[in-house]
Amino acid sequence: MEKKILMGNEAIGRGLVEAGCTLISSYPGTPASEILESAVTFAGEAEDTVRTEWSINEKVAYEIALGHSYTGKRSAVAMKQVGLNVASDPFTRSAYLGVTGGLVVVVADDPGPHSSQTEQDSRAFAQFARIPVFDPSNPAEAKEMVKRAFELSERYEIPVMLRPTTRVCHARQGVTLESVHNLGRTARFKKDSSRWVATPQFLTGLHRGLNDKIDEIARLPEMYPSRISGSGSAARCIVSSGVACANVYEILEDLGLLEEVDLFKVDLPYPLNVDFIEAINAGYDHILVVEETYPVIETQLMNCAARGRISKDVPDYGELTPEVIEKVLKTFLNVAGGTEEDVKEVKGVRPSLCPGCPHRAAFYAISTTFPKGIFPSDIGCYTLGMNFGGVDTCHCMGACISQGAGLYHAYAADGSDYPTIVVTIGDSTFFHAGIPGLINAVFTGARFILVILDNATTAMTGNQPTPQVGVMADGTPGNAVYIPDLVRASGVRFLEERDPYDIDTFTSCLREADRFCRSDEGGVAVIISKHPCIMDRKALEGQKRYRVEVTDECTGCRICIKRFECPSLIFDEEAGKVFVDQNSCIGCGVCEAVCPVGAIVVQETGGGA
Amino acid sequence: MNKTVTSVLMVGVGGQGIIRASDILSAVMMEAGFDVKKSEVHGMAQRGGCVSSYVRFGEKVYSPLARKGDVDLLVSFEKLETLRYLDCLKADGEVIVNDEEIYPPSVNLGEEPYPDDAISFIKKFFTDVTVIDATEIALSSGDRRMANTVILGVLSSHLDIDKKVWETVLEKSFPPKLLEGNKQAFERGRGV
Repeated sequence: MEKKILMGNEAIGRGLVEAGCTLISSYPGTPASEILESAVTFAGEAEDTVRTEWSINEKVAYEIALGHSYTGKRSAVAMKQVGLNVASDPFTRSAYLGVTGGLVVVVADDPGPHSSQTEQDSRAFAQFARIPVFDPSNPAEAKEMVKRAFELSERYEIPVMLRPTTRVCHARQGVTLESVHNLGRTARFKKDSSRWVATPQFLTGLHRGLNDKIDEIARLPEMYPSRISGSGSAARCIVSSGVACANVYEILEDLGLLEEVDLFKVDLPYPLNVDFIEAINAGYDHILVVEETYPVIETQLMNCAARGRISKDVPDYGELTPEVIEKVLKTFLNVAGGTEEDVKEVKGVRPSLCPGCPHRAAFYAISTTFPKGIFPSDIGCYTLGMNFGGVDTCHCMGACISQGAGLYHAYAADGSDYPTIVVTIGDSTFFHAGIPGLINAVFTGARFILVILDNATTAMTGNQPTPQVGVMADGTPGNAVYIPDLVRASGVRFLEERDPYDIDTFTSCLREADRFCRSDEGGVAVIISKHPCIMDRKALEGQKRYRVEVTDECTGCRICIKRFECPSLIFDEEAGKVFVDQNSCIGCGVCEAVCPVGAIVVQETGGGA
Repeated sequence: MNKTVTSVLMVGVGGQGIIRASDILSAVMMEAGFDVKKSEVHGMAQRGGCVSSYVRFGEKVYSPLARKGDVDLLVSFEKLETLRYLDCLKADGEVIVNDEEIYPPSVNLGEEPYPDDAISFIKKFFTDVTVIDATEIALSSGDRRMANTVILGVLSSHLDIDKKVWETVLEKSFPPKLLEGNKQAFERGRGV
């Protein structure tokens, strides 16, 4: 069998296809985005038709997988941890009602966090919903656990979660490619209103049934954590799961203590095997639990003497990097040795929006037109508008529109002289969770400007298509849904579309929108800021290109750097002037409008349709 | 500390081809018969953020990450970025630095200077430091974007792996029309 270096997410996608899963839905989000892309890549190897889709949000993705599972077919849904917050409603009820075809819920956590708004532990969410959860420690194991998860899911007719973390999702290793299991199942939905409709009268019974399933799973001998070091009769034991367990093992090996400590690796942190709980509590006086990010195993041990995140022997926040674990282990095992001081931090935080990014032009226009404005924004590359005063808030997907309404109502109650509120949201985020907020704002009479940053892609997570693009995950055409139609249908009476590269026109449109908001018949004004993401090669080649240079007129005021923040505009300390880094400059020419003394000059060099 | 596992840490700025270079290094080590684990962290936007990637290889590797102070070889694609990760290196670790400066926003804004003594600072703590101008070498091979292949060439001369293994993997890694240029860039790096 072929062995190939795969990223954890690729291994999971491969595992789903190998397991005979015939529907995989997802919404992109770091560190989960590559799972569906990988499933698309491998789907061709299956004889059964494998359907893959980017859904508009995680709730929708979850419900599609659920409906698919009701017919007896294997299904999976993949998302990042905060995506599960969005999908929490169908997720929690699906534990009670259960599934028919296996349903595997892949939720990627991000301890640290590296690129998320919380470092919540989805295993704790699984425990809350009473859904079993696997915790892989590396890519190859993640693929293996996909299969175990499907088996468990079908045996107990319950959704099962696979919870990788960033260090599994974005790790790579050699993974064996196995053949695809073709189940050849045909869709058969069996009507059962007491289960699939489940009005309150049935729920006590379903809840009891769920508890019985969990109790049984907690007794499965195959889920008993395996001892991977020690003799089984050491005085101290460590219980660990996920990538933290791999780190613990390696550090014990380095310290030469593999024989001295009984290390137990937990594959299924919830429900924790009850015989294991009993044996550990009876067998050891010194127990350390090392897990990410919340104390899920630790709480189930129900042992006040156990050390871990609750006792704060393990830091109760942040990623468990190898050096953090080393320090914890040395203390627990009474090993002397240097735990060096933290080294001074190197400054110069990166990143910024790409050179030529259309969002930069939009933010520049917004922040200069309304110097006293308030700018709620949202989640995407465009959050980086905070670097130069274009973004004042960022909360969770779609929140900016309703937050904008809340801000407006607070100021409006104090008098008519309210600040201009300009809300920015990306096209994908608008589809994801912006639409209900917009309908609500229109209906309740809020007055603000909503700028939809339409760059025709989901840029931050790797340029996945949006519904407006009309291309589905596997490249086949879908039925495009247009943002202007949705905006109009939401009752908006001011709708304009402008290219932000033309800063003057964009700015006058902003002023017009502000006048509309403040007029007698005013309300929400929507401007669609339309320019494709320049990471799209075709889009980049299709637009006009300019040679941009800074003349000696430059006074060194740095306005172009502070207010526009293009990485291609670089300040030369010696000359006291700005120059253009021609290697990174894509020649959009927008910065010409930014220089107060006209020292940035552009000359057209080609491109354009 | 770990005698059986070698850890290489590649760092730099988004857009420099670090992830691709570390993919190639992983493939080389697997081809050479080692157990390999790799981990990467990329910044928030696609370009311009800090990027780091660990490649660890040996008879058996458990963790995709190395501890601070446990990295054998730090390969930095950008001077300032090197400084962020110096504490990851072993005391006798080796450093390969590309002599390129990419200013972070704060330097451009004039809030702080770009460190002008980065190389001498590194040399204060580490004896085995190789400084190269990979961009210059890549340009002379035809395309500045091949700087990452030049750096791989330099790295290859620091690792005890048969050159044939590198060539096999390079051939699999590039489409035919880019292969010759990259092979040349690799050779020039290896000759540094």
